[in-house]
Amino acid sequence: MMKTLCLIGLVVVPVAIQAQHQNMGDHKEHNHKDRTNEGEITVDRGRFVKNDSSGLVAVVSVQGMVCDFCARGIEKTFSKDKHIEKIDVDLASGKIVLAYASGTTIDRADIQTKILNNGLNTTDIQIIGN
Amino acid sequence: MRIFTIVGCLLFASNALSRPISYVGGHTLTVNSNAQTHNIYWHFTPDNKYSIGLDYQKDRISNNAFPSARLTVLLNRKNTTNSQRNLYLKTGVGAQHGSTYFFALAGDWESRRIFAGFSAKQMSGSGYTLFEHSLKLGVAPYLGNYGDMHTWVMIETKKNTLNDQRLTYPVLRLFKGCALAEASYHKKSDWNINLTYRF
Repeated sequence: MMKTLCLIGLVVVPVAIQAQHQNMGDHKEHNHKDRTNEGEITVDRGRFVKNDSSGLVAVVSVQGMVCDFCARGIEKTFSKDKHIEKIDVDLASGKIVLAYASGTTIDRADIQTKILNNGLNTTDIQIIGN
Repeated sequence: MRIFTIVGCLLFASNALSRPISYVGGHTLTVNSNAQTHNIYWHFTPDNKYSIGLDYQKDRISNNAFPSARLTVLLNRKNTTNSQRNLYLKTGVGAQHGSTYFFALAGDWESRRIFAGFSAKQMSGSGYTLFEHSLKLGVAPYLGNYGDMHTWVMIETKKNTLNDQRLTYPVLRLFKGCALAEASYHKKSDWNINLTYRF
């Protein structure tokens, strides 16, 4: 019985979530380039639509972020910070983009600690004014 | 016979778990099913160096249950821009059979395209000691972006001193978001299905 449920889950769950993902639209349509001192990074505007606030954006370069499943903790960790409005992860460039609420002072040490708590290393943090 | 049942449960215990240490404060729930056992394993990561967990296995043949407590320690991690390498020490002790326990050394190296992992596991109980080692290699046929469905096509080979036979079989791993599913098949051991959710 349990094996049957596992088999059904194995087939149904990925299909369902992939269909849901497609219904949300093609992310590539929303991709835009932002420039940091290191060069261009891709920010998914479909996920990264800011409110009307004009807070700062932190672009965090990390090492070890090779897996989507493992990077999920980053989103969960930073989403607990009430000063962060939006989070985006770019696996290809190894960058995490954090959009802060207006008037928030960015604590670089706190970012580094949260990244380390996810098993990754921070190599650079760039702050972009909005 | 009972000893072999216990040993069998330990041997077939989930080795498929990806990243046995999660993010700090993270929980992981894994359900595993194969021809011999049903298994459910929960672990919590209080620190980025270790995780603690509870495991409950039920033998499908004898219908016996084997709860156990587990600890996984990160011995070494090397992060680079394009890869991560980990070395873990795993241990577990049976709640009902305190003399039944295991130690394992497991490691992996992973980029976005290639995965390689190994495990060497020693199990001990009343009057027996068994050893199992395994090797797993995988390739991602495409590189998905964050949020996409990701796929790994893998091959695993495993040998233990219980039956002294090497089993080599294909493994398919799919994951999206916080959910991961893994399936493998060998004509002798039949299907092994693993579902993992991280929260």
